[in-house]
Formats: sequence, C-alpha cells, structure tokens
Amino acid sequence: MQTISTDVLVIGGGATGSGALRDLAMRGIRAILVEKGDLTHGTTGRYHGLLHSGGRYVTKDPQSANECARENAILRRIMPHCIEDTSGFFVITPWDDPEYGDLFMANCRKTGVPVSELPLAEMRRREPALNPQIARAFEVADAAADSFLAAHTNVLAAREYGAQVLTYHTLIALLREGDQIVGAIVEDLRSGERKKIACAYVLNATGAWAGKVAALAGVKVTVLPGKGTLVAMNHRMVNTVINRCKLPSDGDIIVPVHSVAVIGTTDTFVPDPDFYGIEAEEVQFMLDEGEKLVPGFKQYRALRAWAGVRPLYKDQDVTNDRDLSRTYKLLDHAQRDGVEGMISLVGGKWTTYRLMAEDAVNVIAQRLGNTKPCRTAEETMPTPPFERRSVTIATEDGPTLHWLGKPLAAVEQTQAYNDLICECELVTRSRLQEAMASGASNIDDLRRMVRVGMGPCQGGWCVYRSSALLYEERSAKADPHTPFHIEYANAALLHFLQERWRGLIPVLWGDQLRQARLDELIFAGLLGIHRLRDHARQGGGLVTPE
Amino acid sequence: MQYDSIVIGAGISGMLAAIGRAEAGEQVLVLAKGHAATHWATGCIDLLDVGDGDPLAGVAALIAAQADHPYAIAGYAAIEPSLNRLREICDQGGYPLVGSPQRNLLLPTAAGALRPTCLVPVTMVAGDARQLPRTGSGEAPLLVVGFRELRDFFPPMIAANLQIQGFNAEGIYLTLPPLEGAADFTSTGFARLFEQPAFRAEVGTHLRRLVRDGGHQRIAMPAILGIQHAAQVVAELQAIAGAQIFEIPTPPPSVAGMRIYHILEQRLRTAGGRIQLGAYVQRGEAHGTRLEAVYSEAAAREQRHRANRFVLATGGIGGGGMRAIDANHLIETALRLPLRAPASRADWFFPDFLAQPGHPIFRSGVAVDTQLRPLDAKNQVVYTNVAVVGAAIAGCDHIREGAYEGVAVATGWVAGAR
Repeated sequence: MQTISTDVLVIGGGATGSGALRDLAMRGIRAILVEKGDLTHGTTGRYHGLLHSGGRYVTKDPQSANECARENAILRRIMPHCIEDTSGFFVITPWDDPEYGDLFMANCRKTGVPVSELPLAEMRRREPALNPQIARAFEVADAAADSFLAAHTNVLAAREYGAQVLTYHTLIALLREGDQIVGAIVEDLRSGERKKIACAYVLNATGAWAGKVAALAGVKVTVLPGKGTLVAMNHRMVNTVINRCKLPSDGDIIVPVHSVAVIGTTDTFVPDPDFYGIEAEEVQFMLDEGEKLVPGFKQYRALRAWAGVRPLYKDQDVTNDRDLSRTYKLLDHAQRDGVEGMISLVGGKWTTYRLMAEDAVNVIAQRLGNTKPCRTAEETMPTPPFERRSVTIATEDGPTLHWLGKPLAAVEQTQAYNDLICECELVTRSRLQEAMASGASNIDDLRRMVRVGMGPCQGGWCVYRSSALLYEERSAKADPHTPFHIEYANAALLHFLQERWRGLIPVLWGDQLRQARLDELIFAGLLGIHRLRDHARQGGGLVTPE
Repeated sequence: MQYDSIVIGAGISGMLAAIGRAEAGEQVLVLAKGHAATHWATGCIDLLDVGDGDPLAGVAALIAAQADHPYAIAGYAAIEPSLNRLREICDQGGYPLVGSPQRNLLLPTAAGALRPTCLVPVTMVAGDARQLPRTGSGEAPLLVVGFRELRDFFPPMIAANLQIQGFNAEGIYLTLPPLEGAADFTSTGFARLFEQPAFRAEVGTHLRRLVRDGGHQRIAMPAILGIQHAAQVVAELQAIAGAQIFEIPTPPPSVAGMRIYHILEQRLRTAGGRIQLGAYVQRGEAHGTRLEAVYSEAAAREQRHRANRFVLATGGIGGGGMRAIDANHLIETALRLPLRAPASRADWFFPDFLAQPGHPIFRSGVAVDTQLRPLDAKNQVVYTNVAVVGAAIAGCDHIREGAYEGVAVATGWVAGAR
C-alpha cells in the first residue's frame, strides 16, 4: 500500500474542509484533503447559496449573527468572484408580527449586523414583484454565494501554497495507536486502490457526517442531521434576497441564484444524513409561503427540489431543531475524550466557514509548534480558470448581477447557436470541453461547474449530449493500459437521469410533468437508454458515490 | 360553418381519423394547438415492445388480459387493416413503410441501444440488427457517420455501444462540405441541406472514399437525409457511396416523423379537409349528451367551431391533452372530460425513473366505450357524438409499452372508418 506522509489530514471537501486546507497551507503546514465525492458533494453543494448578513439570527442566536456579520465583510473582500451582491430585505408581511420590526432593528444593532429601514416606495421600486401589503422593510448585507466556486477557489489557493487534494477518495479507517490518531486509510473510488496517509493531526470537517467519522476513531460525537428542503423556481422574480421579518421558520427566504430563485427551507431531523426523501407536501408548503412574499409565486414553474443536511451539534437535550445553535463547535478530542491528534468541527454555516477553519487551525498549529498567524482574512484568493464572469452585468445601481442575456449575447456574437449543448443555461460545447479539461470527471461535476442540466428541461436535452462528449473526450485521452469503457459513460448517464428524477418527483405537475414525459419519450422511447442497463458499469472516474 | 367532423389534434391518430372521414365525403376540419408526437418521436411505427418477437401475437395476448386497453377497444380485427392503411398512404406519398406486424425489427438508437419497432421507413430498414456485421464475422464494420455540427448524434458513442453488444462498428465524423452563408445545423436544417443535389453529391463522394478505404457494406447516418424526398435522397447516396445506408432517429425535432406528418397533411388536403394549426381548443358547448361546438383560443378572442361529430385526438400528458393543474389534480384540457387517473399522488410515480412498466400517472386518460365515446365515472356516455383516439385514451403507457404509434394508428383508423 502506498503511504503518504503529511502533517494534517483534512477530511471533507466542503466549505470548512477546503477553507481549513488553505489556512493550514498558508501557515506552512503540510496538509492533504480527502473527499469521497467531488468538492461540495455534501451539504455545501446543497444549500440555498446565501451569504448571511446575520439578520436571520439576531434574536435567537446573537453569537451566530455577529459571526455572520463579521465574516460577511471578510468574504466579500477575499473572494469577490464567488459573491453576487444582491443585498437582502427583511419584510413584514400581513402574516408576521408587526411588533417584531423594532425588536429586529434593535437586535441587529446589538449584534453588529448593519441594517437600515427601507422606505416602502424604495422597496417597491427595487423589487416590484413583492407583496404590496408588506408593512415594513429593512435592508441588510445578504448576498448570493456560489459555494461550489468558493470551495474550488479555496482549494486553488491552498494548492498554490503546496497543499494536496484527493477527491473521490473515501475514508476506510482512522489509524489509532493507543490514545493517538496517527493516520488514515483511504480508498480511491476510481481505481479501488487503497492508500495510507500518515499524519500528526486529523481535522474532521465532515459536517453532518462528523459522527460517522468520529466513530472510526472510537469517539462519540452526536450530530443531528437537520434536513433542509429547497425548491428552485425557473425565474428570478427578485434580484434581492428576500427574508420574512420574523423568527426563522420554514419557507421564509427567497434567494436569487444564477438564472433561478431558490426558496427555502424546511428543517426536519433525519436519522441518517445519507438517507432522506422529499415530500410533495413540503414543497407545497414552501410555495404557499412564497406566495406571501411574492404574489403569483406558485404560478412560476418549480424546477426541482433537493435537500441538504445541516450539521447541528447536540450537546444538550433540545426538542426543536431550530432551537439548536447555528454557531459552530470545535471538539478537541484530546480534552474531550482523551484521544490525541484529532479535532472535529461541527455545526456552523457556510458564511462562517473561514472563521471555523481559523479556530481549528489555531489549535492544530499550536500543537504542532507552528506560530505563524492566520492570514486567510487578508489575502484575496485567485479565480479558478473555469470561471468566466460572462454571465453577470453591472446594474445601474452598482451591484453586479446575474443576467442570462449576457451569455446569450455572447452566443449570438460568435454565432455559436449550433454549439449550444445546454440551451437552458446557454452552455456551449467549448465551455463544456474547458470544464472537462479542468477536471470535471462526470456529468454531476459538469452540472456544478457550468450548470448543464440545471434549467427547465432538467437535462432532457443536454445530458445525452454531455455524456457522449464526455465519452469522446475521455476515451480519446485514455492511456492504452486503462481504456475508457463506454459502460462508464452509460452508467454516468443513467445515474444522472435517476438523480434528476429524485429531485423532480416532488415538483411534477403542470409543465414540469409534461417535460418529464418528454424526457421519458427521449430517453426510454427514442434512445432506449434503459436497454443499456446491462452495459453500464461504474468506473473510469465517473463514480458519484452515495 | 357547420362541419361534418371536427378533429382536435394533428398527430397520427387525429390525422388518420380526419383522412378517413374526409375520404368518405365529409367536410372535415382539424384544429390543433401545434404539431404532435410525429415531430418528437422516432418516425417508426411501434406496435408493441415484445423484443424482436411477434407484436401482433403480443397485442392479442394484451387484449385478452386487459379489456380496457386501447387495443382491445379498437379490436384485434382493426390492427392489421389500420397498419395497411397507413402503409398505403405512405407508399403513395413516396415514403414506403416496411416490416411486418408478425415480427419486430431491432434498430440501433442514437445512443447505440437496440430498440424494437414494427414498421419502419424504407430509409431505416437496412439498420435491422439481424443484418448488421457481427464481431468476428470477418465482415467490414458498420460505419456510423455523423457531423460534429449536429448536436444530437454521436457516432463514437453509438459505435462503442454497438460493439459491446457484439457488433462490429466504428464511428466517425464527416467534414461538412463548404456551404454558402450561415447554415442552421438543427436536424431540420440538415434535412433541407440534403434536399440539395449538390450537397448530397459532395457527402456521397466523401462516403464513397470511406467505403473504398474501409470496405464497409453498411453505413448508419442520422435521420436527416432529406425531408420531402428522403427515399430518393437515401437511394442516391447509396448509389454514389456503393454501400447500404440507413438512418437512425435523432432526438427531437424528428425529421423522420415530420415526413409522415407532411404525407398525412397532403392526403387530407387532397381529400378536401382543412387544417388549422395554432387553434388551442379549451372548451366545448353541449346540448345534453351532444357536443355542439368547440372554442379555440385565437388572437384576442375565442373562435367557435361547430360540427355534427368530433374526434378528440389531443394526446396524453406529453401531448398536452391532459394537464396536472397542481400536485393532485389532472384535467382533460379541451372538453374537461372525466379522467381515469391514480386515486392519490402517492401512486403517480415510481422512485426509479426508468422503472418498468412506467409511472402510473402516464396511464391516465379518458375511459371510452367500444365506439370510442367518452365515459364518466359511472360508465355513462358523456357525449354521443365524440370519439376519443390515440394517447388520450386511458389504460396504456404508450411510450413504455412500445405502442405509441400502433395505438394511434388503430384507434384513429377506427374513428375514421365510422
């Protein structure tokens, strides 16, 4: 078995893990990150994409609110290309307690969350689709964040400082000698090869999976996986993040993200972060709630529903998930459990990933005798090569917003209609090939990188094309000893269709149901994809582990 | 004007019903929101998915097992005559359909799978899997030829999938001959290019070189080889190339399906029938159990269309004949006829997208009596002068049963004959 030596092994390729990797590398600590899927395969890739102002937590969780407010300002500075500066409103609808407005303002001030009351005429001018019966509106520094791009950005920065990343590597075992963690065994899911990683420290940054990982070290960590369901609508009916001005509850926030708007969320405890379903009733409930913010909301087409699992840490008995603190916990297993060499990071949220990483790395650095200070808040990060800010436009009022007309103009200018692989999101063949060249290994990766399959047709047109192109690209470049088999491409195609279906079932009615039938005609009727099931095999880097 | 018959929907079932009645001397009007499944599906006539077995025997077994299946309502006796009728129409349109209801053909798809179908246009028949070169047979490989400019046909994938199923195949892209001006490289744009003699001569010459170098006896190409004169285009390309050529259906828009639509449309017009596309019928007007008129949405107004008899050929959920207005309710869109659908949303779908036998919601439709008249929940006839045909009839998943065109042909022919 190959042995790799390093100082710190980071487990988990979400926001926290990739942030910690960068922090470690910047302090000159050797580090390797392992992730069982692609970067952001877990919760990071499945949240609504909100850069919190902190406003949502000012009353119930002031510490979180303050952390969010401080980190919000830092992230805008160090990774501006990952953030769409939409701004955010908190609005009091007829269904909300009008008294809460003053309390909200006061608590914002107490927790350091910048806020100002917005004249209603100004609110209506900026967001004409909002409910005219809204009684008060407050503006905060919410924004839309691209969590996938952000993780890649952190990893790119970390690599420049010498860190290593192993995606599609799953953790098999943690190696423990007496009371000391000394390394791990990981398996490359593409080749089946196992590797030993010898290290002085393990950082468990696996969020909702932290309990499962800690158990491998014989340590008990109780994380309550809180399922949050989200629904993407096929229209950006608002360009600002819209929150109900009340204590956080289900279906009370709309976030404009790229070409869609996302409404969220629910919060339900699920026993296992790997197994959960989404009910049509949850979706209906959120659409009803959306209607209160934007009249006519239910008339827009729901594209897809999905869920992420929040890593809520339980160190006391709490009956309601929403009462668990959204702040994070650093579990030093040396102090807590008498096991040296491992730290678990649990709880928290995307907006505070950098701060969580800083705290964890401070402890690790001290143990390793490294005295360099954290500089992650100062240094601006590089932009990954696959990112092209071609889809944004500066508005009159200043902020740069997503605008689908921009790529359309580019397509028109270069006469690239015939090269459009994904018509919904205007992804051209060359854009897809660039993404493949910069590491996309399956259709799901392509989706995260260039948004193929994210639009109204949910992959009906582009998935066949993408998998065929993936096959052409990979088989042409495969080395003769490890040929790239067509079975891999078939498996990737079947897998992607099935994943889309899971997200579609809760939103299938109206046009989206009709679209699903057209997709069935194309894939089952015309292409006969199901007839290739016996000729589909996971492998060749096309795995998306569950 | 009072028509003898108004047909709502311009797919195969509606057009066959309209042609039948027009040729019997009726004044016929076809009202359709737009084009139908002809423009999305393969352009082949699927009767029943029984693999490469006997689909007619399969239909007989199905009728015996399921009395409310659309095939059972049309009747076994209607199956062969209705197929023959379509063949006769396509023959006269210069686009013969070949095959036999007693034995399915297996044809390669644009993904390289083999799909069973019953009748196929003459331009596709050389793709029958029984004739394709097998690995190790010593025959030269099947050459799968495409154009990079066409986004819906990928020869390397098709060839690779045929290879793992035991066929000898290779896939290549052809360089496009020089073109004047900007071209539209959709499947229909390509089909128009192949209607130009100079273009297909260039492509044919290129194919001949490939045949000379590789000894290929058979060439597969996307189903874009002409639109009005496809049979002639393919014959000419074969003559130049010196090899058998067959088409593989592409994802929509379906050029092969459009050819059939154009032939049906021409036939109907010749018989004096009228077609009005863009007429979205959204309600009817009845007197008791007699439908008097239907209303279509038109610019800034409704249009009223009167007739003695009506044919509802609006399709299923895919065709727009039915629509789920929310998460729990399915309606019939033209006349608000009662529907047979799963009782609860919990029964609409299976967790597996490609599950056999298909999701229950897509078997929904209008229940009909032996005369194709719509029935309500108590099995009473809703309208005595309405016949329901094609995918609008309940009790069949047309796509997953491999019966899409077969049901349309059988029920459309029955409605046209009455």
